[in-house]
Amino acid sequence: MDFTQLIQDITVGLRSFTWANALMLVIGGVLIFLAVVKEYEPVLLLPIGFGCIMANLGMSYETGMMKVIYDAGITTEIFPLLIFIGVGAMIDFRPLLAMPHMVILGAAGQFGIYATLILATLLGFNLNQAASIGVIGAIDGPTSIFVASKLAPEMLGPIAVAAYSYMSLIPIIQPPIMRIMTTRKERLTRMDYAPKPVSTTAVIAFPIIVTIAVSLVAPSAAPLIATLMLGNLLKECGVVDRLSKSAQNEIINIATLFLGLAIGSTMTAENFVNLQTAAVLALGLLAFVLDTVAGLSFGKLMYMVTGGKINPLIGACGISAFPMAGRLSARMALEEDYDNFILMHAMGSNTAGQLGSVVAGGLLIALVAGFAL
Amino acid sequence: MNVQVKIGDQVFDVEVGDLSARPILATIAGETFEVWPEEAAAAAPVEAVQPAGQRAVAPVAATPAAVPAPALVQRTAPVVARDSKSKVMLAPIPGAIVSLAVKPGDKVAKGQELLALEAMKMKNAIRATRDGVIAAVHVNVGDLVQKGHPLVEYTD
Repeated sequence: MDFTQLIQDITVGLRSFTWANALMLVIGGVLIFLAVVKEYEPVLLLPIGFGCIMANLGMSYETGMMKVIYDAGITTEIFPLLIFIGVGAMIDFRPLLAMPHMVILGAAGQFGIYATLILATLLGFNLNQAASIGVIGAIDGPTSIFVASKLAPEMLGPIAVAAYSYMSLIPIIQPPIMRIMTTRKERLTRMDYAPKPVSTTAVIAFPIIVTIAVSLVAPSAAPLIATLMLGNLLKECGVVDRLSKSAQNEIINIATLFLGLAIGSTMTAENFVNLQTAAVLALGLLAFVLDTVAGLSFGKLMYMVTGGKINPLIGACGISAFPMAGRLSARMALEEDYDNFILMHAMGSNTAGQLGSVVAGGLLIALVAGFAL
Repeated sequence: MNVQVKIGDQVFDVEVGDLSARPILATIAGETFEVWPEEAAAAAPVEAVQPAGQRAVAPVAATPAAVPAPALVQRTAPVVARDSKSKVMLAPIPGAIVSLAVKPGDKVAKGQELLALEAMKMKNAIRATRDGVIAAVHVNVGDLVQKGHPLVEYTD
C-alpha cells in the first residue's frame, strides 16, 4: 500500500478547508446565534445557519443530499410556493375587504423596489440581479427567493439572508423612520374602525377572483398568488379545516426547514465571501428603507387629502412583512396614545402590501424577460 | 412667559408657550416638553410630561395657576389619551378577550389596564380612559366581541 496516498486520502477533508471556509463557519455560527439567543426569525435563520456550516464542510448544494434538496425545492421553485400556501392560510383579508382603499398603500409600499433596481444597475449589477436585489425591499422572503431563483440563482444566499434578517429587524429599522417622517399630531390621528360587515361569500370569492385577475394581468406572479390564495381559501371556506391546519403547520414548517437548509447550502465560501454579498446586503437595506419611506409618504398624502382622517403610520406597513409590519404600526400608535387602536387599518394596509409585493415580484420577472428580448 | 417652579429644593426656570394651544409647550433648560392639562376643572393637575427629549424628568407644573402635584407618565406605557367621561367602555376593535385585570368594585386610575383583547393575533391592553370605580364587567375570558361591544362599566 502506498502510505503517502493513504495520508492524502485521510486528510482530504482538512486540506480542502480554507480560511474562507472557516470564515463561513463563523457566519453560520452567527446566524445560529441570532436565531437561538436573539430569536430573530429562528425558524429560518437556524436552518440557513446550519446549512451554511454544512456547505463549507463539503456538503454544498452541488453534491449529495443537499443537491437533492436544492434541485427538488429551489430549482423547481416549489419551496417558496409551499410556504405561501401556509402564509395564505394565516392571512385574514377581512380588514382589507372592509377598506378596499388600503390597496393604494400596498402599491405605494413597493416603490423602493424599483428605485433600488435602478441604483443597482447603475452600480454594475445586471438587470436580473438588480431586480432580485430590489425585491428584498418588500421584506417578503418567499417572493424574494422565488424571484431570485428565477432570475439570479447565484445570489440566492445573500438575498435570502438579507430578506429574513431584515424581517426580524423591522422593529429596529422602521420606528426611527416613522418618527422622522411623521409629526406627533399625525401619529395621534384616530381612525374609527366602522367597516361594513364583510359577507362570507365575499371572503370566499376574494381568493378565487384575485387568482384569476392577477394571473391574467401578471402571469409571472401567477404561481405565487395562486398558492397564497389557495391557502386563504382553505382557511376561509370552513369545510376543510384539516387541510387548513396542515397548511398552517406541517406544510409550511417542512417547507421552511428544507428551504432554509437549501439556501444555507448555497453559502459556500467561493459564493459568499466577496464584495457582491456586501453590496446585496447594503442595497437590500436601502430598498427596505425606501419602501418604508414611500409607504409613509403615501400615508401622509392620504392624511392631507382626507383632511387628517388617515393615520400616516399605516403607510409603513404597506411593505410586505405580514404581520410584523402591521403590528408594529399599531404599536407605534399605542405608544403615543394607549387608547388609539389602528390595528385593523394597519392590517388592511399590511395585507395589501403582501399582495403588492407578490404582484411587484411578478411584474419584475415579466419586465426583465421583456428587456431580454 | 417665564415661570419659576420649585420642586423640593430645586428651582426650575420654565418657559411656557401659548396657554390656549394644546399641547402647551414648556421649555426647561433647552428641552421642550408637551403638557396636556386636564380641561375638566380649572386648576386640575397637569398631566403627562413627555417626548421631545425622551428622558424621564421630574414632574413639572406648567400653568401659572399654581398647579398641584402633576402626574408623570412613564415612557414605556401610554403617553396620552383623551379623557373620557362616558360610563361604559366599548371595544375599540373586534377581537377575543384573553384576560381580565379588574372586577366589579375595583377602583381604577386613568391608564390602568382593564383587560386584554387579542385581535389579528396581537394582544392589546385596554386601559382606563378615566379614574373611577368599576360597576360591572360585561365580558368573560374567551368571549369574541365586535367593535362597540360594552366591556366595562363605571359606577358613575
